[in-house]
Amino acid sequence: MNNHDITYQGPSKPSSEAHRSADAELRRLKVLHAITTSVLSITDFQELLKNIAIESVKFFNASGSILRLLEGGKLKVEACSGLCDGIKIELEIGEGICGVAAREGKTVYYNRADGIYQAAMQSIEVGICTPLKIGDTLMGTFSLYDKMTVDGDIIPFGEDDRITLEGFASVAAIVIEKSMLYEKALKQEREAVEAKRQVEELKDYLEGLIENSPDAIVTTDLDGVVTSWNDASEKMFGYAREEVMGQFLPNVPHFLVDTEKSYMVQIRNGETLKDLETVRKTSDGRIIDVNINMSPIKNSSGDIIGISRVGRDITERKRIEKDLLRKNNELSRLLFISSTMRGTLELDRLLRMVLTAVTMGDGLGFNRAMLFLIEEGGRTIKGAMGVGPANHDEAWEIWSRLSMENKDIHTIMQEIELGPLRKDSLMDRLCCGIEVTLDDDTVLTRAVKEKRAFNIPDVRTEPLSDAVLIQQLGTMAYAVLPLISRNKVIGVLWVDNLYSRKPITDHDMNILKGFTDQIASAIENLRLFEHVTEAEQELENIFESISDLMYINARDYSIKKINRAVVDKIGKPPEEIIGKKCYEIFHGMDSPWELCPHHKTVSTNRSYVGEVDDPNLGGTFLISSSPLFDQGGELTGTVHIARDVSEIKKLKEKMVSIERMAALGEMAAKVAHEIRNPLLSIGGFARRLEKRLDSDLREHAKIIVDEVRRLEGILNNTLSFVKSSVTERREVAAADLIADITTLLEPAVNERGNVLRKEVDHSVTLIINYDRMKEAILNLVSNANHATENGMITVGVYSESSFSEPDLLDHRAEEKDAIIEIRDTGYGIREEDLDRIWDPFFTTRPTGTGLGLSITKRIVEEHAGRIDVESKVGEGTIFRIYLPLKGGPA
Amino acid sequence: MKILVVDDEKNILKLYKAELEDEGYTVVTANSGKEALEVFRAENPDIVTLDIMMPDMDGIQVLRQLKQEKPQTPVIMLTAYDYRDDFSVWVSDAYVVKSSDLVTLKNTIKQIIEKK
Repeated sequence: MNNHDITYQGPSKPSSEAHRSADAELRRLKVLHAITTSVLSITDFQELLKNIAIESVKFFNASGSILRLLEGGKLKVEACSGLCDGIKIELEIGEGICGVAAREGKTVYYNRADGIYQAAMQSIEVGICTPLKIGDTLMGTFSLYDKMTVDGDIIPFGEDDRITLEGFASVAAIVIEKSMLYEKALKQEREAVEAKRQVEELKDYLEGLIENSPDAIVTTDLDGVVTSWNDASEKMFGYAREEVMGQFLPNVPHFLVDTEKSYMVQIRNGETLKDLETVRKTSDGRIIDVNINMSPIKNSSGDIIGISRVGRDITERKRIEKDLLRKNNELSRLLFISSTMRGTLELDRLLRMVLTAVTMGDGLGFNRAMLFLIEEGGRTIKGAMGVGPANHDEAWEIWSRLSMENKDIHTIMQEIELGPLRKDSLMDRLCCGIEVTLDDDTVLTRAVKEKRAFNIPDVRTEPLSDAVLIQQLGTMAYAVLPLISRNKVIGVLWVDNLYSRKPITDHDMNILKGFTDQIASAIENLRLFEHVTEAEQELENIFESISDLMYINARDYSIKKINRAVVDKIGKPPEEIIGKKCYEIFHGMDSPWELCPHHKTVSTNRSYVGEVDDPNLGGTFLISSSPLFDQGGELTGTVHIARDVSEIKKLKEKMVSIERMAALGEMAAKVAHEIRNPLLSIGGFARRLEKRLDSDLREHAKIIVDEVRRLEGILNNTLSFVKSSVTERREVAAADLIADITTLLEPAVNERGNVLRKEVDHSVTLIINYDRMKEAILNLVSNANHATENGMITVGVYSESSFSEPDLLDHRAEEKDAIIEIRDTGYGIREEDLDRIWDPFFTTRPTGTGLGLSITKRIVEEHAGRIDVESKVGEGTIFRIYLPLKGGPA
Repeated sequence: MKILVVDDEKNILKLYKAELEDEGYTVVTANSGKEALEVFRAENPDIVTLDIMMPDMDGIQVLRQLKQEKPQTPVIMLTAYDYRDDFSVWVSDAYVVKSSDLVTLKNTIKQIIEKK
């Protein structure tokens, strides 16, 4: 209104003009009023601007109007009327008519015809633009274009129009500004409402979150007095919200109160504590493991006014963790024990390790343990080793000593493996005395037969409890596990907790089961190893004890292995032989010997046997050389067996000499023959002379005859035992024959301190060539005397049913043999000699001819009899002559 | 009764001849195997005494020949030692070990004649 007044009062005109001027003034007021009325009723800002544009066109008779507001330094179209198409939306200050008006801060006329200004739009002819200002502040511009007469002609805007427009502009500027302010206030109010709503929403959401959270969320003031306590907290700690509000945190155990206070100091200093793992107390006094995050609560001005705690129950997780840790420990222990066991090569040590592992606190922690093994044959279970205190006193003593020594299982295992093996405990002795036959039906035997473990929590309620264990060990509850290797039960592990009375749990059983598998395979491995070792030892023994030289050469002639015989033969310790070249050691050469069998085998890949005369070894050797091949069939070396055949060679030579002797004997026979013939002549003629001569001469001839007879006797004795025909047999009382012989030999027998005894059946009569049979028996008795010293020689005669096979007529079966037995208590005949005693020339006496027994045999056979011998070295000899009682064929 | 005595020793032949003639036998002699066969064929003796060891022909060979020619003529083998292991000796009718005491030989001859 002020502007209107100012605008109104501004111009002063002459009175002729006064009417026109007043008229104009009125019109102007009308316009302003109309515009003002029309726009003031409008509350919407955009509509207001649009109305200004439309109404102004009407009142000024213009074709169009544009309202621009200054926004970001540019003039932007806010509303327009008429010429809305093709207008430039944004104008720089100084650009176009509006830009000029804005820059100049005054109203500008535009007429295309005068060309003073360049309009932004080419289509308009005339225009007027005035800046919108409040005070000196530019708000925008308002322009009108192409004023028209009622006839439709375009005419330029005049001074009148300018005044009116400027007045209008000043009003519009104020209206626009007020509208803008109102618009802004409205917007702010809307925003405030929205913000409030959002905050409320967030609060609801957070509260819901807190209430429904599975985590316990507790807030306190800076002194730990509870200000909120959610449902999860009620559940987790057992305290109801009502009883804790306003109290100091009731779930902090008293021993952690100081720690909690120190945490609170940290929070007060703006720190946040994450993932605190601690414990909390519940209303019923349990301690639970929790994970807590603590953070400060700030007010809107950023001051720390409280503390929030978000806690999570991790008891379960902790339990699993502990479980895992324990399992891991157990596993690593088992693994260690198992690997130590596998390194052990003695059964006793292995068993000791096993039992120590089972009984040590650091191991499986049983009070006592025993191992039973299945005996060979699989009929009985026998205690092999027991570990553990025998009574309470010993238990205390051992436990206190162990805890004092504080040794871990690794150390103890090492001690068992390397130290001296102690096997003297009472428990061990008790254990080794226990033997159970598998025919019994007890827990022990069932564990074996059914291949499964037994846990006996109370022996009094288990009918199959082993009485022997209860009696000898006083066990009240025990567990028994079979040791199974390759599906075969090889033994049983027994454990109990007599002293601690700790029940054996399923978990214990599981651990033990895992362990028994290890034990079983370790024991089995060990046994296999022992078998292999034994076999190896046996082979080694054989190798060593063979009296032939045995050695193994590598391809390159170096000696790999030798036996005792080689060491003895070479006369050097083994370390000076092994690794050296065989030709150096055996032949004293510096390159391979052409004749060497190894050389031949290496060059042909074939076995070779040959006799080698080696002056270096001093003898003749029969050497066999066999190739050794690796798995690929490649020759790796040779095995040699060299037999010293020097002895055999000597024997052969001896044989030759014996043959020579035989030849000599033959010659002697010839010589004898040659002598016999002249003797025969001499003796024969002497006999003739003896018959024909008288007295002295006859006596002389007789001397010749006698001497010749003596010489002939010598010849006969030396060369032949046949002097008369075999046909001359007669009946002789056996007693007479024996008496004759004993009388002859008595002096010689007595001379050797022997007693000669006769056991003669007097009814026995023999049909024999007396002299021959006498010679045969004399030989036997004489031999017996030579073989006996201070002993007894018995000559017996008796009769017995014949053993000879019945002939076709079966009449000899009834016949009887006379048996002449010569028994002595002498040296006896070696078994290997028994077959040879009948051979001519075989003798063990240096002075014997070796003919005695062969002559005896021949004589007996001439009588259709047979002779046999029984002898034992050191006990004596029995010769028996069997003669048919009716006499054999002549 | 004609006896052929075969021996390579002439002295022995002389002794046997004298002794056997004393006994009343006709005695022809041969001092080698070869001669023995000739005399045997020429003289056709009733009994032959034959020394086993002769240089040119072994007495056992002679024995075989004699027995082949006249199996019925008894042959008494005379030897320096026991030859009974040789089966061919068994073919002979008797066997006497040579001795300066001729009693055994004379008895054997008598027995053979008696058997005849």
